[in-house]
Amino acid sequence: MKDTMSRLLIALAVAGSLASVSQANEPAPTSLQVFPPDVQLTSSRSQQLLVVQAGYADGLTRDVTAKAKLTLANPALAKIDKGIVTPLADGATELVVEFGGQKVSVPVKVKDAKLDRPISFKLDVMPIFMRANCNSGGCHGAARGKDGFRLSLFGFDADGDHYRLTREQPGRRINLALPSESLLIEKATGKVPHTGGARIKEGDPYYNDLIRWMEAKAPNDPATIPTPVALDIYPRKAVLDGKGETQQMTVRATYSDGSVRDVTSLALFLSNNDNSAKISENGLVTANERGEAFVMARFATFTVGAQVIVLPKGLKFTWPNVEEKNYIDTLVHNKLKNLRILPSEVCDDETFLRRVTLDIVGLLPTQEEYTRFMSSKEPNKREKLVDELLGRKEFAELWVLKWAELLQIRSSQQVSYKAMLLYYDWLQDRIARNVPVNEWVQELLGASGGTFKNPATNFYQAETDILKVSENVAQVFMGMRTQCAQCHNHPFDRWTMDDYYGFAAFFSQIGRKGTDDPREVIVFNSKSGEVTHPVTRQQMKPKFLGGAVPDLKGEDRRVVLARWLASPDNPYFATNLANRVWQHFFGVGIIDEVDDVRISNPASNPELLAELGKRFTAYKYDFKKLVRDICTSRTYQLSTRTNPSNEGDTRNYARAYLRRIKAETFLDCITQVTETKNKFPGLPNGARAVQIADGSISTYFLTTFGRPMRETVCSCEVRLEPTLSQSLHLLNGDTTTSRIASGNLIGRRLAENKTPAQIIEELYIRCVSRRPTAVEMERLLKLVDTEKDKKQALEDVFWSLLNSREFMFNH
Amino acid sequence: MRFSTTSRFLLLLAALSVLPGDLARAASPSLGSITPRGAQRGTTVTLLFSGARLDDAREILFYSPGFAVQKLEVVNVNQIRATVAIAADCALGEHAMRVRTASGISELRTFWVGALPEVAEKEPNSELATAQKIPLNVTVTGVVDNEDVDYYAVECKKGQRLSVEIEGMRLGNTLFDPYIAIVDSKRFELATSDDHPLLGQDGLCSIVIPADGLYYVVVRESAYQGNGACAYRLHVGTFPRPQAVIPAGGKAGEEIEVTFLGDPIGPIKQKIKIPATPGVKYGIHAQDAGGISPSAIPFRISEVGNVVEVEPNDTPANATASPGPVAFQGVIDKPGDVDHFRFQAKKGETYDIHCYARRSGSPLDPVMTLSVLGGGAIAANDDAIGPDSYFRITFPEDREYLLSITDHLGKGGPTYFYRVEFQPVRPTATLSIPKVSLFSQERQTITIPKGNRMATLFSVGRANFGGEVAIVPEKLPAGVTLHAENCAANLDVVPVVFEAPVTAPEAGVLTPVGLRHADPKHPPIAAAFSQQVELVTGGPGQSVYWAPSVSNLAIAVAEESPFAIDIVEPKAPLVQNGSMQLKIVARRKPGFTAPITVFPLFNPPGVSSASAVTIPANGNEVLLPMNAAPNAQARKWKTAVLGVSDAGKGPIWVSSQLATLEVATPFVVVANLSRSAVEQGKETEMVCTLQQLTPFEGTAKVQLVGLPVHATTAVADITKDTKEVIFKITTTKDTPAGIHRNLFCQITLMRHGEPVVANSGYSELRVDVPIVKTTPPPPPPAAGTPPPAPAAAPPKRLSRLEQLRKEQEEREKAGNPAPPPATPKK
Repeated sequence: MKDTMSRLLIALAVAGSLASVSQANEPAPTSLQVFPPDVQLTSSRSQQLLVVQAGYADGLTRDVTAKAKLTLANPALAKIDKGIVTPLADGATELVVEFGGQKVSVPVKVKDAKLDRPISFKLDVMPIFMRANCNSGGCHGAARGKDGFRLSLFGFDADGDHYRLTREQPGRRINLALPSESLLIEKATGKVPHTGGARIKEGDPYYNDLIRWMEAKAPNDPATIPTPVALDIYPRKAVLDGKGETQQMTVRATYSDGSVRDVTSLALFLSNNDNSAKISENGLVTANERGEAFVMARFATFTVGAQVIVLPKGLKFTWPNVEEKNYIDTLVHNKLKNLRILPSEVCDDETFLRRVTLDIVGLLPTQEEYTRFMSSKEPNKREKLVDELLGRKEFAELWVLKWAELLQIRSSQQVSYKAMLLYYDWLQDRIARNVPVNEWVQELLGASGGTFKNPATNFYQAETDILKVSENVAQVFMGMRTQCAQCHNHPFDRWTMDDYYGFAAFFSQIGRKGTDDPREVIVFNSKSGEVTHPVTRQQMKPKFLGGAVPDLKGEDRRVVLARWLASPDNPYFATNLANRVWQHFFGVGIIDEVDDVRISNPASNPELLAELGKRFTAYKYDFKKLVRDICTSRTYQLSTRTNPSNEGDTRNYARAYLRRIKAETFLDCITQVTETKNKFPGLPNGARAVQIADGSISTYFLTTFGRPMRETVCSCEVRLEPTLSQSLHLLNGDTTTSRIASGNLIGRRLAENKTPAQIIEELYIRCVSRRPTAVEMERLLKLVDTEKDKKQALEDVFWSLLNSREFMFNH
Repeated sequence: MRFSTTSRFLLLLAALSVLPGDLARAASPSLGSITPRGAQRGTTVTLLFSGARLDDAREILFYSPGFAVQKLEVVNVNQIRATVAIAADCALGEHAMRVRTASGISELRTFWVGALPEVAEKEPNSELATAQKIPLNVTVTGVVDNEDVDYYAVECKKGQRLSVEIEGMRLGNTLFDPYIAIVDSKRFELATSDDHPLLGQDGLCSIVIPADGLYYVVVRESAYQGNGACAYRLHVGTFPRPQAVIPAGGKAGEEIEVTFLGDPIGPIKQKIKIPATPGVKYGIHAQDAGGISPSAIPFRISEVGNVVEVEPNDTPANATASPGPVAFQGVIDKPGDVDHFRFQAKKGETYDIHCYARRSGSPLDPVMTLSVLGGGAIAANDDAIGPDSYFRITFPEDREYLLSITDHLGKGGPTYFYRVEFQPVRPTATLSIPKVSLFSQERQTITIPKGNRMATLFSVGRANFGGEVAIVPEKLPAGVTLHAENCAANLDVVPVVFEAPVTAPEAGVLTPVGLRHADPKHPPIAAAFSQQVELVTGGPGQSVYWAPSVSNLAIAVAEESPFAIDIVEPKAPLVQNGSMQLKIVARRKPGFTAPITVFPLFNPPGVSSASAVTIPANGNEVLLPMNAAPNAQARKWKTAVLGVSDAGKGPIWVSSQLATLEVATPFVVVANLSRSAVEQGKETEMVCTLQQLTPFEGTAKVQLVGLPVHATTAVADITKDTKEVIFKITTTKDTPAGIHRNLFCQITLMRHGEPVVANSGYSELRVDVPIVKTTPPPPPPAAGTPPPAPAAAPPKRLSRLEQLRKEQEEREKAGNPAPPPATPKK
């Protein structure tokens, strides 16, 4: 890896020095890169697909493999044809690549050029099943197989597949005497009816390898066969100039014996955004509409990806001097520069006040707060407002609510309300006292004792299944959805069944027992109990997800896990939490969904995410500081108004996104502006909806607006999409009309001899944090004037405001 | 009241009989509540007993001494008022009582006695600012409504002890889990308590006042889920409120010094005189110049003395030495502490080793390990009895052993006390009356109308012995006699009938109940009657939160009943796999016409019966269908039935006499009943081979039961010599096709003029639709292709089966191959 990077840098440097030499009309590249950074051929069948990428001053890249001049210093060692290097004789030499005045050289090593590697089931046959989609979930990889034949999904059980091919039904699937008449071959080539159609062609390399394997008597591999340990896709990034532009990808695997292998022809390619960049089954990317795509290659248990940016053809773009308030802006702007997108302008004070108040404390600014902020002449009044809001207790309550959702604080037939209230109080105490997240997460995960006496143990009361507990921990604290790996290796991520059961082993020794109170459960370290791998039947040693196998030293496994999980040693903890915080303020996570971290769902701005995670760790997991960074950045303060370059942007924070206000906060806002009181079961009169401790308590309003039931740890339980029933409920449900009546704000203001204009202005400030425009005021006054019943007319104005989209959204 | 109504209702549903609406209401009499819920001892208080049909109240039955009823007044039909003098030395805490009326005994309810004068809560007191001012050393009676928080302000002096204890859940009103706290005037919590192992869901706090000033006692429901029924008694005063005692038990009759631990002022030493009877429930209160603690700490009365741990004893090497297996006492005084005791034991001695921790109100969750001194563990236990540890051990050799105690979660503290008792293995038994339904107080007492009978079942839990035993109540109301057989050795229930002559005075007793072994040489059995009254239950599931138990059975003689019932004792036996109609007759007083519902009290093992039958209005008899399973135990049993009716004043229960019911083996059984098949409209035969077991006189009838409609056969007559019966079965074209299972023979013979009915044999009859010959089958399937055969299979299987049948018939020499000629089309 390090080598690769340094070579790239050298290549860039070399390219830079030669930049002056250029062709007449075609723009001269400013850099030239050759992928992979070296060529290693290790047998007579070895080959390597080369990709040459030129970079230009405007940031564009071009695939110039066909145009570049490729010369071997010693042509006797290898042959180059259409970018593919094949061996001739053993030795080492250099490949010189020249294009547009740039020149790069790549080392070439040839070994065993005359020696053929024996055919291997795991190295040669298994990859074909994946490449040809034989073992995908819809085909033979299904749990019960397909049409009577089963392969392990994405090849997680190669030995099992060998058994099924050779021995499950002897003589049926393969024919060692006449390999080409094997059912395997006849089905795959479509010679006999095959639901999946023809997957390979007679004579193609896949066909040949399958035949070769059978000719060799269909051997399985010895246990010492090297296994893939890494996968690389090249180039890592491409910026394509308009529709139709192409870029070839090359994929190389590294094996446990240190050898490398070109697996471009064996990898499975996919793109997460076909609309911008499609990738063919051979790895050729074709540009489509403007946008960004992440193209991926899957081989063995690995998935790797590269970023492809597609720009409109011949786009003229200059980056203006945009102010950068902190590191967030710098990193967001870097990405926008790449994408040729201009950020929107900064929003006005009124919008900022409403937005930041809603986001930090979950309430609307009061009239008094509005006046104070709007009349302030201080240059740093926005920063001051952020600090002020962060000091309020509603800030903590909002985050208690968020965590309560993730920790499934919810009473049920089995779980008492008392236990949940104590759990909620415990959580609230930690957050209100600003206990660093890592500390209370460690306390939570390692908790022992009674669910009443040590409420943190309730985490293990809500869910008792070992596997589910481990899935929940991975999802809540690392943002990983590991569920797939329970039955097979994760199809879109790196998690294998070994990882899954190794992680679950941390939770296999949780003892639970009753005590004096029938509602209370004692959670303790039972010191016994193991997790068995369902395929290999091995007892799994506890292993951190994506980390080491720790020395447990007789300690409670959960304590050991908690110590690692909530620490900088765990690369996912800080970034995941930072991403959750970010998502709260922007509506879209840098990785989105925030609890769906996987290689095939990459961060829209990895540098930003990494930096946020780093800062969060440096802040000792004090997320108030992180919130301050976010809210004082220019990026957070952007207007929702778009410009031509960013109107399509949904992931890169080039503008502010409209966000429907969350159910609990929305109800609190309505309660606040109408000056009414809520009554929720188990809470005193006048409590706010965000204070509801128990997930099983809801109201019609909250359910309609997507309050989560806390049945799972998934962040997707909070629903924010607007629905018809929401609109109808606001229009004619009891929340708006009856609250306006019972709050009697208008009546009171009229009694104070306020004029309709004054009242309308107050209503506007209350609901949408701005004064009415002159046009609005004029029209509304006209309406009010024609009505006899002023109170009724003004209440109608109030009702209209509560039903306006401006009120319903944070903008 | 709630429980009995529900249970009655369920019972009636189960009975599947229609009863007059009146009966579905409540017991007669019924007691729902006693208010107030408690009082100060040494005072005279007026208690209101509310329920139903209490207006003929005669007395209050108290389960404990210290109460004298001075006046009993009827308020209305549902309420009575009693003026009760509570003795100055009345025990503190919970007391159980019932109301006895002319017609019976009410449910058990509780009443709490305290040492302090009482003050009532005055709302508004839901905020610190509006706290109710109270003097020190009072008991506040209040209610926690939904989300209600009650504040009480009390003036204290520096150095004074302020103790608080609440009775909430323990009052037995409703699922009320209180939370209490002591806060200072700056709202800082000085002490809080939600649940305490000594008090269940109730709590206690005690502090030494740091400075002169106002202090606040806060009371709320722990999850803010109070309601109007959440009454409490809050003791606030300077009384000692320790949380542990060492030793927590002692030798019966001795006078010893105990040390109370956990009081904020420090250990309190107190001399106590231990009662003389080992094994009875007992508790001790800490007492000093500041007062007396409201609730007792359980105290065990043993036959042996104590060894109190000598710290340090946290390793085997410094184990506290004991002369032998006695009672060990100690405190797991810090987290991770392990206490060790070493003692000498003799080979072959067997002990039940109990660690009393949670049962004594200690927060300790003990883990107890017994090992050979210097060797390996030979027994260990964590949670045998709730969180407490228990095991039985027979010492393998004469030598020294080591017993260690620690907390399961490695916790510890100054109040984590425990007591380990070595109890010799002796015969013991627990007696109770099985519940009619879950958590019900229904029929847990005995009311015998004068000149009539009442019956109950007793449940006998034997420990460390076996054999037949007799139930022996210590006392009975004057004139009452008891009829019962011994409880059979293989059963743990026995029916008992109580009878009162018409001359018996109306009276009630609360009596212990003992057991006597049928073998006069058997060592005495320590038997205890126990009745648990689940006053508070709730989720999850049906968990019990507060359930006081009493050790006396309530028996009363009541006014006469307008009816009586008798079993007409059957002369013929109920045979295994047979049935019987048990006749019950009613004796009615003139003018009493209401229907009487009859419930069986006891079905012998393997015998079942209808759950209830009704003697109709004006009727005098009813038949109770009974069945015996094939494995019903053959012997003579005693049983009785209960009758209930309403004479306009709630239900009146009586029982029949204790009658004999004989379960016997059948006289003749079917050894084999052949299977048969027939086409609709044809005839067939079923051959029934008999096995004669006991010769009988005359003829018996054998009937084939279970034939489908439009299939007929005749009833056969047999004698003690008949070996075989052939049933000719005639069908019509309407006889439903298909396999008719559950065909059996019913054999009825007469014995002493009564029928003896037994079922025997089992078979099935297949009725086929005739094959229409005009449809030739498709080309016959080639040899052996089973998978595509489903369509062709039925005819094929059909002929094979019939062939088999034919062969069988031939074997049985029934040379009459009538049945099916159709279908051969292979």
